[in-house]
Amino acid sequence: MYSLKLALKSLWYDKWINLLSIVSIATGLFILGTVLLSLYNIERATQNMPERFTITLFLNEKISKKDVDLLIKRLKRESIVKEIDYISKEDALKELKTSLKDAAYILEGLDENPLFPSIVIKVRRENFDRDRVEALIKKLKGFNQIDEIIYADEILESIQDVYSGFKFVSLGVSLLFSVSVVFVCYSTVKILFFRRKEEIEVYKLLGATRSFIRAPFIIEGTIIGIVGGVAALAGNYLLVSLLKGMTNPVAVLKLIEIPVQLMVILPVAGLVLGLTGSTIALGRLKY
Amino acid sequence: MIGFNQVTKIYDNITALRNVTFSIEKGEFVFITGPSGAGKSTLLKLVYLAERPDEGSINIAGWDTETLKEKAIPYLRRNIGIVFQDFKLLYNKTVYDNIAIALRIRGIKEAEIKDRVHEVLKMVNLRHKTDSYPRELSGGEQQRITIARAIVGEPTVLIADEPTGNLDVDNTAGIMRIFREINAKGTTILFATHNRDLFRNTGLRVLRLDNGNLVSDEKG
Ligand SMILES: Nc1ncnc2c1ncn2[C@@H]1O[C@H](COP(=O)(O)OP(=O)(O)OP(=O)(O)O)[C@@H](O)[C@H]1O
Ligand SMILES: [Mg+2]
Repeated sequence: MYSLKLALKSLWYDKWINLLSIVSIATGLFILGTVLLSLYNIERATQNMPERFTITLFLNEKISKKDVDLLIKRLKRESIVKEIDYISKEDALKELKTSLKDAAYILEGLDENPLFPSIVIKVRRENFDRDRVEALIKKLKGFNQIDEIIYADEILESIQDVYSGFKFVSLGVSLLFSVSVVFVCYSTVKILFFRRKEEIEVYKLLGATRSFIRAPFIIEGTIIGIVGGVAALAGNYLLVSLLKGMTNPVAVLKLIEIPVQLMVILPVAGLVLGLTGSTIALGRLKY
Repeated sequence: MIGFNQVTKIYDNITALRNVTFSIEKGEFVFITGPSGAGKSTLLKLVYLAERPDEGSINIAGWDTETLKEKAIPYLRRNIGIVFQDFKLLYNKTVYDNIAIALRIRGIKEAEIKDRVHEVLKMVNLRHKTDSYPRELSGGEQQRITIARAIVGEPTVLIADEPTGNLDVDNTAGIMRIFREINAKGTTILFATHNRDLFRNTGLRVLRLDNGNLVSDEKG
């Protein structure tokens, strides 16, 4: 209890050093939070875009019902196929008409349906495997009843690449900033320690144990970490509400959300990193 | 209470103490004297374990330096009160807190700390300076605060290194009176000084050091 009092007193006594550390830690954790926030929102956004994982087969106009059934039956055996949707010539026209709405009259002059029947295949998103999708497409190309295969190949690939690249970079950035937060706490505690070296010397000569001497510093380092974490969280909230409130908003930004986990992650990260930094600092000091 | 057995302490290439052997009984008042650089401070530092002997062994209140673990040092120090020549007061804390800290490190409750701090402040006649800061006090007053801090934990041994070094005759006399009073209550005292006037004709024991050797052990 007395240690806590000492820690709080010292927080106030060395408030400028502590404030500086809190700002540095908050900045580090803010960036960490922003990275997590982006990851979370990208993940959410891509989950809402299953059409990216779709293969569309345009079939020969004169394909028989029997051949269609056969094709569907074959596709059903493929493990990566999640859903199959057959759209006949007539269905396609109906769809077109509804999507044209008021402009549907432009189709009226047609005496023949110009559209092709198609099959829309939805590929399993979980355990997505590009090679297997490509193998399936190759196989389908062997069918002479299929005129054309449309597969969001490049888009898919780039999304996949960007996402995994981003994940990789995020991991690196997170690691980097975690280490720097530890380092800030480490340096702060070390500075505080040296500033109070004489005081500690006196405590020691009076018979203070190691843990009595360490406790206030560890508490202080941890409080700095937690406060930094909370400040970073506040910063993230501010950032999100600013993005959402922009007068000329990019539509996607409206969808950004703060995951509840972040409310726990940032302060806890501050606590853990602060504790780690101060413990390392004290462990390396001789007294 | 305190026993030195063939103790040698060497700093780099200076032998600060050479083959020193003596023993002090509980309740004794012993002066350590000798010229500057004789090894007085070194001897006291060995007692409160700021230094370890290079040869020989030291026994303090039943603890032996040869077998003493690093972790036990704080608990041993709680049996030893130390009065430093340079005070070692905390200048950002009040007189009260400076003394109370000696009890707080022991985990004693604040209510009890309050009683005991006020009691020792009365003993050194500084009850009215409870809430002052050390800088607002004279040298003699600061030295009395360090004495109060040293005895508030009721140590069995009180060590003082030149506690009157910077003080005038009146302050010195006042401080000697306090030490005699503490000794009368049964506390063993080790008092380093080069001022012969302090022990002349007192009949107290005097250990004389010269160049690291214990050259005499007689009554003053
Ligand atoms: N930390 C140290 N490192 C190196 N040499 C030291 C150290 N402390 C003391 N000495 C040397 O050991 C010898 C004894 O020093 P000590 O401080 O015990 O003398 P002293 O009797 O207390 O002298 P004084 O009356 O001036 O205080 C001196 O020669 C001193 O220079
Ligand atoms: Mg000395």
